[in-house]
Amino acid sequence: MLCAQPAAALDDPAARTRVTLLENGLVVLTLVDRATPVVSFQMWVKVGSRDETRYTGLAHLFEHMMFKGSKNVPPEEHARLVNARGGRTNAWTSNDFTVYFEDVTAESLPLVIDLEYERVANLEVSAETLESEREVVLEERRMRTEDRPQGRAYEALFATTWQALSYRSPVIGWRSDVERATVEACQEFFDTYYSPNNIILSIVGDFDTDATLAHIRRTFGTLSPAASIPRSPTVEPPQKGERRTRIEFDLRAPILTMAWHAPSTGHEDAEPLDVLGQILSGGRSSRLYRSLVYDAELALGASGGYWEFQGAGLFVAGATVRPGKSIREVERLLIAELAALGEQPVSPEELEKAKRQLEVALVGSLATNHALGARIARDFASFGEVRPLEERLQRIRAVSAEDVQRVAREYLRPEGQTVVEVVAPPADLQAGS
Amino acid sequence: MVKPGSLQRARLDNGLEILVLEDHRLPLVSLGLSFRRGEAMLAPEDAGLASFTAELLERGAGGRDANEFAEYVDEIGASFGGAAGWDSLSVGVSGLSRDLDRLFEVLADGTLRPHFEAEEAERARAERLAALERAKDDPATLASWYTARALYAGHRYGTPLSGDAESVARLDAARARALHQRVFVPNDAIFYASGDVTAKDIIARVRAHFAKWPRGEPSPTGPPPPLRTPEQRRILIVDRPDLGQARIAVAHEGLSRTDEDRLAASLMNLVVGGSGFSSRLMTSLRSEQGLTYGVYSGYRLRRQPGPFVVSTFTRVPEVRRTLDLLLGELERGLEEPPGEDELVWARSLATGRFSMGLETSSAVMNGLVDLEIYDLPRDSLDTYRSRVRALTEADSARAARLYLHPERVAIVLVGPAEALLPQVEDLGPVEVVVP
Repeated sequence: MLCAQPAAALDDPAARTRVTLLENGLVVLTLVDRATPVVSFQMWVKVGSRDETRYTGLAHLFEHMMFKGSKNVPPEEHARLVNARGGRTNAWTSNDFTVYFEDVTAESLPLVIDLEYERVANLEVSAETLESEREVVLEERRMRTEDRPQGRAYEALFATTWQALSYRSPVIGWRSDVERATVEACQEFFDTYYSPNNIILSIVGDFDTDATLAHIRRTFGTLSPAASIPRSPTVEPPQKGERRTRIEFDLRAPILTMAWHAPSTGHEDAEPLDVLGQILSGGRSSRLYRSLVYDAELALGASGGYWEFQGAGLFVAGATVRPGKSIREVERLLIAELAALGEQPVSPEELEKAKRQLEVALVGSLATNHALGARIARDFASFGEVRPLEERLQRIRAVSAEDVQRVAREYLRPEGQTVVEVVAPPADLQAGS
Repeated sequence: MVKPGSLQRARLDNGLEILVLEDHRLPLVSLGLSFRRGEAMLAPEDAGLASFTAELLERGAGGRDANEFAEYVDEIGASFGGAAGWDSLSVGVSGLSRDLDRLFEVLADGTLRPHFEAEEAERARAERLAALERAKDDPATLASWYTARALYAGHRYGTPLSGDAESVARLDAARARALHQRVFVPNDAIFYASGDVTAKDIIARVRAHFAKWPRGEPSPTGPPPPLRTPEQRRILIVDRPDLGQARIAVAHEGLSRTDEDRLAASLMNLVVGGSGFSSRLMTSLRSEQGLTYGVYSGYRLRRQPGPFVVSTFTRVPEVRRTLDLLLGELERGLEEPPGEDELVWARSLATGRFSMGLETSSAVMNGLVDLEIYDLPRDSLDTYRSRVRALTEADSARAARLYLHPERVAIVLVGPAEALLPQVEDLGPVEVVVP
């Protein structure tokens, strides 16, 4: 029998994070770990697609432009210089953040600081590079969304679930906006959001803290802060009734996704919702796998989970339907599993199993400097502090069967649900769907 | 990188090799067994059998049926799984180090005492058939399947790793059991453990669980693929009328994992198309022309020579321009092989990525097990950097000459045939297939 004993107390490396606030508002998180000669440098800019007011996709398009040259570094040279030192550099954009990173060996850290500073201080957006990069982003959009059933499903899910919040538009933007975004719009976006008081630097690995901070003061420390960073005032009104979207696409395996509004990041219901997601889809013994994949043999995979954002949250569940099987039947079974969680408390064994899975996953997420760097930056961006791992573990351990039942009832209400299905056009519909 | 001194080796009397890497930074452990035979040992009509066998290991073993086994693994937050590659079959488990007893128990049960129960096999087969059908929804998967077919029809490499609808339809419990008996022999296996463990304890546990496992005869590895393929340029269009973006794969035979030229070829490839933003192909197709989001080339290193593949994607009307530029870069690889200026960064990139790829003990262990699978020198991870630094412009030029063949490539396009055919029909014989 499984004992409810928690994992042994962990030495949380993030507890050694040093927080430095520069006069211009720049936050620098430094965490020395000499176990490997690798340093992860990350620049978290607190801007994402939710901040777009005119052209959707601008935060992401702009992220691409950051590799296209500045006053002292020609286009693509940033990546080439990092690669030439054996390092890895890339960037990503989400609804809330734009993140640039370099994973390098220790001796290349000064170069990386100079390169990141250079593009924040001296970026040059030219019409020519914008035209070429626009095409690159449109190819990315085709690959991720337009020609991909899963991409279509999530794009529609966000667009249907949110009606007021800018979370409704895709991070990569609507095609028409990406086609039309201007140099001026990019420049204005840069001037508005790429200010030191909207940026967090996170550096984890083998380096000298004092020398690194001095280097950052000499570079990033000279940037002028913005008077204020504009944020959207919009609040999503409560959803009063189910919403459905159907997308027709040439595919064999239909996709079902569903979402319910949930709290934004940091809410006390986050842990019960995480446990709920784990009970639904944590491993082959989970409820959705057992019901939809194993017993009914209707789905290829099924999952449920809590997605947290800075200004909103969702509980998302879904399944990939086996070719020729009924999407209606899959939906019926999925909803029955969700309803059961509101009707009956989960057993002590199932609860412990879910908590244990979450704990092991959390410990596993500490394995690389890159993952640690992302964790402390995300924490600081969200909560203004690096939250101890133990605090998060305690909150997971404290979740009761009643908590799980309560959040299932409170958030997974039929009148608040949004359903998106991606199915073949009628002529190709399989029997039963 | 994990200190080499923390690696311990041992061997049981039945031939089972043991590798243990201690790393106490986190209370996690990862253990498993790898066998030196994989899908490549099979005939094309048996494609998917190794992968199917590996999956069945977690569908009932020891005293537990499929659901009980899943429950027993999930209860401690562990992950358990079997998998087959071209050249190896592996079964592994990971979890918290204080659950080591149970981790060993499920690993030993899964490895030595799988049930191969008929009803579970039937479920797994139905799921695999559905997954194969679903995979056709993914243009990248279609491109990879048909590239393999274009190069290796009739050889095992010509059928997808996990099989096709025809071969998977023939899978059953009895054949999985027979394959398990043939492949799962201790004298052809490597046991590995890494993480928060001590070598002494692990070796004692391996002995307790696996010492009585009898030796067996290792199976043959399977016939070699054609050494030259395709003989001449050929084009295959996989018709997906709905797509706005075409997938493009350009391929020919490559070289093996143990070929002495593999490092020279890999370094040359980094410059041509294997290094992301720095490569010639990415510079041309993405940075300068805005034709694609990504383009990558690479040698698929297997026990027998696997393919060299360049893959990318672009909007349908631009397929011909993209192909011309892509083939032009391959020709340039021959005519202007990477110069010293390019090799300087390529060597740094190769050694830097290598070092960073070994940040965790489980990654180091994967590298060490891979050396065992291919019988490569045990100090290969230690000598990698110096071997790369020793490569010269001449090595790179020779690798280009021997392992780049732009004049005879298979070109696979996934997209609307109606719009693609007119763009490429002057390039060579074209075959159009419906997936």
